[in-house]
Amino acid sequence: MLVLVFWLVAFPAWGAGVVSLNLCTDQLLVLLAPERVAALEPLARDPSLSFVAAQAALLPRVPADAEAVLRLHPDLVLAGDYGAQTTVAVLRRRGLRVVQMPEAEDLDAIEAQITQVAGLLGVPGRGVAMVADMRARLAALPQAPAGMTALLWEARGYTAGAGSLGDAVLRAAGLRNVGTGGVVGMETLLTHPPDLLVTQTAPGYPSMATDLAQAPVLRRLRHLRVPPALLICGGPFTVTAAEILARGAL
Amino acid sequence: MARFSGGLKPTLRLLVCALVVLGLLSLLTGAAGFGVPDPFILWQIRVPRTALALLVGAGLGLSGAVLQGALRNPLADPGLLGVSGCAAVGAVGAYYWGFAAAFAPALPLGGLAGAALGCGALLGFAGRAPSGPSLILAGVALSAFAASMLALALTLAPNPFALAEITFWLMGGLEDRTLMHLWLAAPPIALGCALLLRLGRRLDALALGEATAASLGVPVGATLRIAAAGVALAVGAGAAVAGGIGFVGLVVPHLLRPHVGERPGALLLPAMLAGAALLTAADLLARLGPLLLGMGQEPRLGVLTALLGAPFLVVIARRVAP
Repeated sequence: MLVLVFWLVAFPAWGAGVVSLNLCTDQLLVLLAPERVAALEPLARDPSLSFVAAQAALLPRVPADAEAVLRLHPDLVLAGDYGAQTTVAVLRRRGLRVVQMPEAEDLDAIEAQITQVAGLLGVPGRGVAMVADMRARLAALPQAPAGMTALLWEARGYTAGAGSLGDAVLRAAGLRNVGTGGVVGMETLLTHPPDLLVTQTAPGYPSMATDLAQAPVLRRLRHLRVPPALLICGGPFTVTAAEILARGAL
Repeated sequence: MARFSGGLKPTLRLLVCALVVLGLLSLLTGAAGFGVPDPFILWQIRVPRTALALLVGAGLGLSGAVLQGALRNPLADPGLLGVSGCAAVGAVGAYYWGFAAAFAPALPLGGLAGAALGCGALLGFAGRAPSGPSLILAGVALSAFAASMLALALTLAPNPFALAEITFWLMGGLEDRTLMHLWLAAPPIALGCALLLRLGRRLDALALGEATAASLGVPVGATLRIAAAGVALAVGAGAAVAGGIGFVGLVVPHLLRPHVGERPGALLLPAMLAGAALLTAADLLARLGPLLLGMGQEPRLGVLTALLGAPFLVVIARRVAP
């Protein structure tokens, strides 16, 4: 009886869990230690944006609101470098442990983040396994024909430039990225077409940004669609994106 | 060069020449560079864009002339009075919730519905209150309401990219418009312009006052309703494919009145042509931004028309309100 009471009293002291306020950290958290999730921010359950949408839908969610987060008494809060900054400031002042992770821009950064988050969550072994799996899959990637150019054409005509995550994925598949990070209109795209045009499949509901990729004029180009959930954040699913590209380029 | 002395026929000839020149320049200008491009680009990208600039501009210019005549108010303009804003809300509702994806004409129909509601509200108010500053205030209120509804709709839209597109809906643009947008917008705009062009005589009579016009046998209520329908068609479909563009309908009649006379009926055809010319010129300027000035993106079309129109508005308002 005393043991039971002690256990009930001690349980909250273990820490009520980890809250994540950023889509990218949400996904790493769910993939590495779903049992420690106290709450995730709502975008994690959107299947067009999040690789772990199905699992996130079963987990509690919290808006990026300091009051809501504090009510959960988390022992760790994961956040990104932008978005929810005012919330993060309040939580830090309150004494909570908040770890901010920048956006991963290449595969090495993704591996480093996986290792870091696994360490924070107390499951370093899982982190090591995940990184090893990523490396094995990258080594097994078929490479695109030499010199094949590709352009990752994102929402509103923005292209993925050198040093971005999209660029890293294109290069991992053996493609040469001709994007500069600026905006490319349809006319420019048709005048200087890449060998492979990569866009993100439109989510369920339209927006002009995502509709651009469906324009009938693009039928002239070799066009490959990738689920956006694989390219927005860095994680083990980034290798899945590279696999899709490598196979599509063959 | 002979000095242009005015008159209806010479003005019309000048406007037609301007339209031909601007249309050709528009077909020859684009991100691929100056000159005739690949036929695919010419037909699939430049022709729709030029045609839309001409059509939307024509609709806006003509609507402005009709509103100024019907409301007997020199500050009337579909953008200023909130009609373009309401059209944008209607189009946003049809587009972001997938109706236009299922049934393409839903896009201009949404714009039409929004514009019709806006026009109806405006002309309903005009019927009860005397024209003048109070009408403009009502229009400004409607415009502000429409803008806030637009922001709300985009915030609630299912697609997370929607809110970033608010600049298009508030300030307009014609980049990346395709033949499909042309097919969707051309019939309603053409129909709206046809309706509005026939109102010349009635607007002349209305200029003498509602009672006098009625005594001359002009059905005032029906005239206002046809005007509302025509403006809703022309502006609604235009806003659905080009976003919110204002000031074209304001500036064009004022530029033409010294040459064509004060009669509202005489202004209609020239205003339509001049509106088309003005918007095509603005769109050309927008394209020249990235080409000649190294801009990363094209400036918004509504920004360019506002840069011209806002100072104009101040000048006119000073003349009107003592």
